[in-house]
Amino acid sequence: MAAVVWVCLAIALFCVAYPLYVMRPFRPQGPRELQAALAVLQYREPITIICTMAVIVAAFASGRRVFAAGTVLLACLLAWLARVNVYEQIMFHSAGRPQFVDAKEAQIDSNDKLIVVKVNGNARAYPIRMMGYHHVVNDDIGGTAIVATY
Amino acid sequence: MEGRRLTFHLAGINNQNFLMRDDETGTYWQQITGRAISGPLAGRELKLIFSDEMSFKLWREEEPGGRVLAAVSEYASKYEAKDWDVRMQRTPTVIQFREQGMNPRDLLLGIRSDHASRGYLYDRVIEAKLVKDRVGAEPVLLVVGPDGQSVRAFHDRISGYEDAPDFYRLNSHEDDGAVMMDAPSGSRWNFQGCAISGKATGICLERVAMLKDYWFDWRNYNPGTTVWGKRLQ
Repeated sequence: MAAVVWVCLAIALFCVAYPLYVMRPFRPQGPRELQAALAVLQYREPITIICTMAVIVAAFASGRRVFAAGTVLLACLLAWLARVNVYEQIMFHSAGRPQFVDAKEAQIDSNDKLIVVKVNGNARAYPIRMMGYHHVVNDDIGGTAIVATY
Repeated sequence: MEGRRLTFHLAGINNQNFLMRDDETGTYWQQITGRAISGPLAGRELKLIFSDEMSFKLWREEEPGGRVLAAVSEYASKYEAKDWDVRMQRTPTVIQFREQGMNPRDLLLGIRSDHASRGYLYDRVIEAKLVKDRVGAEPVLLVVGPDGQSVRAFHDRISGYEDAPDFYRLNSHEDDGAVMMDAPSGSRWNFQGCAISGKATGICLERVAMLKDYWFDWRNYNPGTTVWGKRLQ
């Protein structure tokens, strides 16, 4: 039973750690390892749930209460971490539902650079100094859904 | 995508270009190409919308009724500083492509056309103010705006005129906002690529999509690219 616990924890840890290892900033990503990391990301939520359930059953079947409590806690932590988007929840944050101000009211320096678009006759600007942080802004311009990225 | 609205989130990184993931399908998309690289929609491409990178001053003059993304107050202290581009120049890259005399962080304006790709060194374009060139067989025109930093690209042909346009740059402070003239029609043209006086008045040049990017990233996704304005060694 202990072996089942450790194997499930190892799988869950791999699911959390491997994508982070591959997609570290300032590290090159090879095409195959990137695809592998993305595949892990795709399936890690159900995998870590299954692992957690297996750990719960196996740990408590072992009869060792402290061992069971510790390993179940660890499995739950890993299952939660598998749902954390490090890039958007820790490194950067989403702009959420974007708000806009009229050009004449915008508190921006004249020389600041913007990404500008015109969709359905509506002109919109996304300051690069903001986009360099949020990176992704989901927007709707005159009924057309766009995503501004930088 | 195919009539379905997708909501995107920052989700990863691939050689210093980020990946996005959409909530609706869980597909991963490469930011620089708009192409899905993993997941249910792998292989699909998002439709690129024409955009410009412009100074606020110039954009406000062109679009006084435009709207600007508002700062999110809780993150405003984390936004890039004014010298973000200077600081970024010093940031190391994970891939280099030291070829064609280029350095990884050389800034260029990339155009893809007619199955060819070409990068125009930004500093050289700014210096020249107007560049007439070809990308593949397609004649293109790069024009620097009156702010001395914004650049637009157009197809170098005037609708209804068979002769080559032969544009030339005007001074940056023309009262009517004109930035160039063409020889065949003798018309004056603004930075939006529209003739504002002369025989071609009312005609606008067709825009060409252009991407401002660092050499290492442009080269990574355009392996056959050529370069305009590279320094002599």
